[in-house]
Amino acid sequence: MKKISLLLVFMGCIGLQVLFAQTREITGKVTSADDGSSIPGAAVVVKGFTVGTITDMSGEFRLKIPSSAKVLMISFVGMASSEVDLTASSNYQIVLKSEQFAVDEVVVVGYGVQKKREVTGAISQVKGDAIANLATPSFESQLAGRSAGVQITAGTGVLGEAPRIRIRGIGSISQGTYPLVVVDGMPVFTGDVGGYAATNAMGDINPADIESVEILKDGSATAIYGSRAANGVILITTKKGASGRVSVTYNNYLGVASPVNLFDLLQTPDFVTISNEKRSNRSQAAIAVGTDINTDWQDAVLRQNAFQQDHNLAISGATDKTNYYFSAGYTTQKGVSRPNEMNRYTLRSNIDHKLNNWLSIGLNSAITRSEYFGLNTGNNSLSGNVFSAIRMLPNTTVFDEKDPTGYNIDDINTNYAGRGQNLQQVDDNLPNIRYTLDKNVYSSKTMGVVASTYLSANITTDLNFRTQLGVDTKGTEGFRYWNPFHGDGQSVNGRINNNYSNFTRWNWQNVLTYTKTIAENHNIKVNLVSEFQQQGINSFYGSGTNMSDAFFNKNLIDGSYGTQISGGSKTQNGFNSLAGRLNYNYAQKYFLQASVRRDGISSLPKDKRYGIFPGASIGYAISKESFMSDLTFLSDLKLRASYASVGNADIGNYPYLGLYSNAKYADYNGIAFSQIGNDNLQWETSKKTDVGFDAAFVDNKLKFTFDYFINNQDGLILNAPTPPSFGIPGNSIAKNIGKLKNWGYEFSFDASLINKKDFKLSVNGNLSIVKNKIIELVNHQDIISTYTIIREEQSIRALYGYDYVGVNMSNGNPIYRKADNSLVQGNIPTSNYKVYDPANPTDITVASSLVSADRKLLGNTIPTYFGSVGIRADFKGFDLNVMFRYSGGNYVMNRTRMDLLNQKFQNNGAEILGRWQSTDKPGDGWTPRLWYAGDTFVNLTDNTSTRWIEKGDFIKLQNVVLGYTLPKSILKKIGIQNLRLFAQGQDLLMITDYTGIDPEMESGGVDYNGTPRQRVVTFGVNLKF
Amino acid sequence: MKNIFKIYQTGFLKSLVPALVFAVAISSCEKNIDLEPFNQVSETAAFQSPALIALTVTGMYEAAQIGYYANPVDPAYRGFPFGAAFVQQGDNRGEDVVNVATFYQLTYTATYSTTSANNVNYWKDSYRLINRCNIVIDGVKKAGASNVITPVLAAEYEGEARLLRAMTYHELLVLFARPFKDTPTASHPGVPYHENPFTTQAAIDEGFATGRSTVAEVYAKILADLDFAEANLPLKAARSGNMKLTRATKAAAVAEKTRIYLHMWDMDKVITEGTKFITGALAGTYSLTADPSGPFVSPYSNTESIFGMENSATVNPGVNAALASQYGRRQLVCMSPIIWRNSSWLVDDKRRLEGAMITTTSGVKFTNKYKDQTNYTDPSPMLRYAEVVLNMAEAYARKGDVTNGLTYLNMIRNRALAIPATQAYTAASFADNVALLGAILVERRIEFVMEGRRWPDIHRLQQCPYFPINGIPAKLANGMPAGSAYTLGTPYTGALGTTAVPYSDFRFVWPIPQDEINANPTLAAQQNPGW
Repeated sequence: MKKISLLLVFMGCIGLQVLFAQTREITGKVTSADDGSSIPGAAVVVKGFTVGTITDMSGEFRLKIPSSAKVLMISFVGMASSEVDLTASSNYQIVLKSEQFAVDEVVVVGYGVQKKREVTGAISQVKGDAIANLATPSFESQLAGRSAGVQITAGTGVLGEAPRIRIRGIGSISQGTYPLVVVDGMPVFTGDVGGYAATNAMGDINPADIESVEILKDGSATAIYGSRAANGVILITTKKGASGRVSVTYNNYLGVASPVNLFDLLQTPDFVTISNEKRSNRSQAAIAVGTDINTDWQDAVLRQNAFQQDHNLAISGATDKTNYYFSAGYTTQKGVSRPNEMNRYTLRSNIDHKLNNWLSIGLNSAITRSEYFGLNTGNNSLSGNVFSAIRMLPNTTVFDEKDPTGYNIDDINTNYAGRGQNLQQVDDNLPNIRYTLDKNVYSSKTMGVVASTYLSANITTDLNFRTQLGVDTKGTEGFRYWNPFHGDGQSVNGRINNNYSNFTRWNWQNVLTYTKTIAENHNIKVNLVSEFQQQGINSFYGSGTNMSDAFFNKNLIDGSYGTQISGGSKTQNGFNSLAGRLNYNYAQKYFLQASVRRDGISSLPKDKRYGIFPGASIGYAISKESFMSDLTFLSDLKLRASYASVGNADIGNYPYLGLYSNAKYADYNGIAFSQIGNDNLQWETSKKTDVGFDAAFVDNKLKFTFDYFINNQDGLILNAPTPPSFGIPGNSIAKNIGKLKNWGYEFSFDASLINKKDFKLSVNGNLSIVKNKIIELVNHQDIISTYTIIREEQSIRALYGYDYVGVNMSNGNPIYRKADNSLVQGNIPTSNYKVYDPANPTDITVASSLVSADRKLLGNTIPTYFGSVGIRADFKGFDLNVMFRYSGGNYVMNRTRMDLLNQKFQNNGAEILGRWQSTDKPGDGWTPRLWYAGDTFVNLTDNTSTRWIEKGDFIKLQNVVLGYTLPKSILKKIGIQNLRLFAQGQDLLMITDYTGIDPEMESGGVDYNGTPRQRVVTFGVNLKF
Repeated sequence: MKNIFKIYQTGFLKSLVPALVFAVAISSCEKNIDLEPFNQVSETAAFQSPALIALTVTGMYEAAQIGYYANPVDPAYRGFPFGAAFVQQGDNRGEDVVNVATFYQLTYTATYSTTSANNVNYWKDSYRLINRCNIVIDGVKKAGASNVITPVLAAEYEGEARLLRAMTYHELLVLFARPFKDTPTASHPGVPYHENPFTTQAAIDEGFATGRSTVAEVYAKILADLDFAEANLPLKAARSGNMKLTRATKAAAVAEKTRIYLHMWDMDKVITEGTKFITGALAGTYSLTADPSGPFVSPYSNTESIFGMENSATVNPGVNAALASQYGRRQLVCMSPIIWRNSSWLVDDKRRLEGAMITTTSGVKFTNKYKDQTNYTDPSPMLRYAEVVLNMAEAYARKGDVTNGLTYLNMIRNRALAIPATQAYTAASFADNVALLGAILVERRIEFVMEGRRWPDIHRLQQCPYFPINGIPAKLANGMPAGSAYTLGTPYTGALGTTAVPYSDFRFVWPIPQDEINANPTLAAQQNPGW
């Protein structure tokens, strides 16, 4: 922003070609009203002349001024500009007041910036400082709670997994729902970028390099991005150098992560009792023996003190021609699950340079090396970390020094974990989970470059042309190794895989900007944009099974494996776009913005591939009207309304083509029908309506923003289900049938309660109420998944299953309520359904059934409200930031809880102690009688039932940051500008009735054996020279 | 003047920048978005050259070998229907195996539903295969008519498609419909029969008119396919290498017909078709191996195997489905003491041989018919000559021809006996043809144990006049049996923790999957009763 003010100074200079005689020299000093400190880099300009300078490091300036000069203008970012009348004096002491809420703050918008007070769309801004110091694998997970309407959920504690982002609800049913992310004007790759460990592309961005993040939410703000705007847009602006002396900053943190919570598993004595009761209930012999050992297998899988550290060094500055920012970052974070880890090395260089008085060039580039070490997190995989940790027998050890491997592996069946004294091995082929976590390797190593270079030309004073060429490229090397002796690799005597994926995207955009003020009050700005983009993704892999020896486990090594497999793929797509935008305001009072974009995309059939996406918004700064001037408590009030029709381009590469894919029969090459074509496929569109207002009260001390929005998604590309008996690939055809509606309210406030020199206190918060409804589906057909349903008039992916009533206290059978409201009990010994008569509960003679038609809607999975409350206090040198985050109104299918109550010879959660044993010991009334291997009937596995459904409401203490800045007086002596020490904690506390680890650990409404999220506590330093 | 020129020059330069840029931009416009896929072939090309047609025919077998499990986005190959699943589902619906872990528990304990994966994917993958067959039939007919390939080759390809289609419809009938004799003229609901490809929206729109055909109608279509296949498919001698066994042949069509007619209770036709192997067109092309382990020791090169899906080290049903994985290395399904201790199975029978046929862990018996526990390359045993022989034995016995029935039974049994001279059945062994029939039916269970044949037999024998089975027999509890349960000497009389499901129970037939009910109003009205 300093750069912008500088630019204004120079542009002002260029505009006026008045000759004058130099008559005298003045000097002066610019200081801050807050603490009296000098302000380097402030612009000092003689009003009406092309004369100006910038204050030096000590805030002083020296300037030759014409004799006719009358007024001196002084400005500095974050301070209120000041005008000083020139007198006969040759020395001026100028004091600038800081702006509590800087009136002319700018926000980044598509293809440009805009003054905040001229914005008529719904845009949320998050400053980089707010998230820079938080320990996090990727910056976007720290945006959670920071702006209304934006919901970000990191579903698990696995580093490298991309969090889920929903901007104003869910934008599509079967196509992409991830927002467009633009870094310094360059749309970048998002999501997973390959390899064998989860590798979130956003993790490549060093949070410390971020100046600000703007989230474009409504139609008007996003419309300029046309077909890519349906899911919202996130704009990231990286840092620039500030004018003045060279600034060197060093920031770090060191800390530890631990799981937010653990499962309450059975300990050995209860485990033995429960296991044998499962058996004896169906007249089978006891198998659990041995109480000497009591192992919590969660300790074998999860880390309690996972070390994390981060270091950043940045050097920045600016001269009158060149502005530069260089940074280097390093982070290494161990995850809460063994052996999860990430390492990131980043280099950034941002340079802007003025070639002459009308031409400037610049380059923003970032090079990132990211390394992720992952693991098998399969929620239904034998070597899945949590799946296995909750099932391993607690009366067995993890290690066994007598075994040649050192791990406790079964002597009889070497593909099982060791049975200890038990008479039988653990059920379901479970290997020793610690062995597989220690031996198997899953990794992704990405080398990424995001760079854009521009040339900007001021063709006239009103007309600017800018052309920018950008590239985003990522090369990801994946490696996976499965040990041949035990675990997943045993099945094929070892498996080793290398793969490589290259993601390359080129983007070229040209922007013509015309800015003009006519007749003083008519402010006009016009942007014309052309943009072209093409991207390609190539990948190939090689793998070997039947390894000669576990020694060759670092890479594919010639001749070290018996079976060789290789493959690859190549895809590409392209965009062509033209867009225009008009901004007009009259006297900063009446605002109008209108834009239109025409996008062409390679993913649609030739005659349907162009789409036109218009948007418009109006604003009315009603507080500027004279009739409002009596309302002195009101500092600012602006009403806004917008409407746009935007599209969703995240629809795959060729959804419209009828295709044949390779289909090898054994080793014979073949091809087969793989996708049914649809020549009529066209753009998905999202019609976004927004009305709202921004208000500020009591000298801007209290700010309040309100929005009401409706997003109507029309013509959704649905993978419309086709009857499986038609045998169509994937049992679906891509069609533009489907309508979805998201609507809701957003409130946010920011209140400065106390603002004294030594004590500042402010509170901010936001609340979003978002509703979601399916309006139309293909032939009005439900789309039913294992746990959820997509049905018209309902929220997307509502839970769908059986209505569980409880336990028949006379026999321990589970009772359900059928669709006709009659009660039925699952008779455990015979695995069939009998009528339950409450008056005669022992009667199991009348046959009944529990069939799919008895399933009911059991609750929405999308939170209906969410938000946060934050408190910031500054006292002397201390600063404290606290953020609470809350969410609720949704229901979660706790599938993990079902797994914890399995009926196998496997461990259980403590809830099973409440089982029905007899009429004398009826238990908790909710947990039926135990029945060995009776899972499918007793628990109705792979079905939803109200037995497992819980409310997802929670309040979390998301962040606490406490910092202390050393007094400047002390620091000056040792040549340090600023030194701040801080401690911070994330996810410290949660208030919820949810019985699982964390209600946010759901995906599609189902919590299923996810790795616990991490709680992080760190300490760090911010140092500036 | 100079200044004016300079101003003009600068202005020109300034305007030139955007002008040039826009000129370049517009010229590179259209081709940026006019792209074609690299990974797939357009559907319009698939039947336009002999090479692509040959690939498309091979691709049809891929659907038979490794069906998708769950969804196509995250494909997992699980051997539906013919690569492995027919064996696992066919065995686990019966009582001669015990499901040890969770894998086949829903099938084993009859707790499946309209959404449980194995039955749902059986339906989906079977129809996926059928659509590929229909695409090939339609495509090669047109290619033959337009001389892209010769009419003879077109008919051969069509024969391959029709054999696979017939076998698939038969699988569907056995799993999703009641047996042939459920009604006097088999007029009860079979499965929906589609013989046109679904490749367009128009075909989808028309498809909704088709409901379930009757069982008799589907069988008639199956026989028409098999007759065509028999007439147009080559003998195995015309094929080379593994393809003698793993691509359709005339013998496979005839062998399948002996099976189909058995299910249709047409014993004369069983004999007619079977006789083609003895004295007819197929005489001398197949023979029983000397040892019962022959078809499994050399699964791709023996005289007995007629048809099976080829599995290779790189393309097979995988660790979660391959027979050598599930039944072999992972030992997820064991042999049941019910059949192991059956008194008709002599203690020294070669089919009990440890190593060649059986592996034992802690006393529990597992099959060793599928041996490649590292690369899973065993073929699936879809049709063996031994089955043709026992089909004929049964047909003769049912017709009262004890002599022929005994001859064919002994062909199978004697090769497995330790001392055939003293242990072999003779005419004196059986009081009548019914007693002989009983021995034949037990022999089938022993010979084909863990080859997936049990459920089809249970299905068709429901209405057997002599040895009727009522529904799904009782079985051992799901889980690992005790090793002591396998001690030979007496028949198994221990606990049967999985109770029988009577024929009248709705669970006897699998439900039409929920996805079908949701997407197809016609079939929604025709769900199997009780589901």
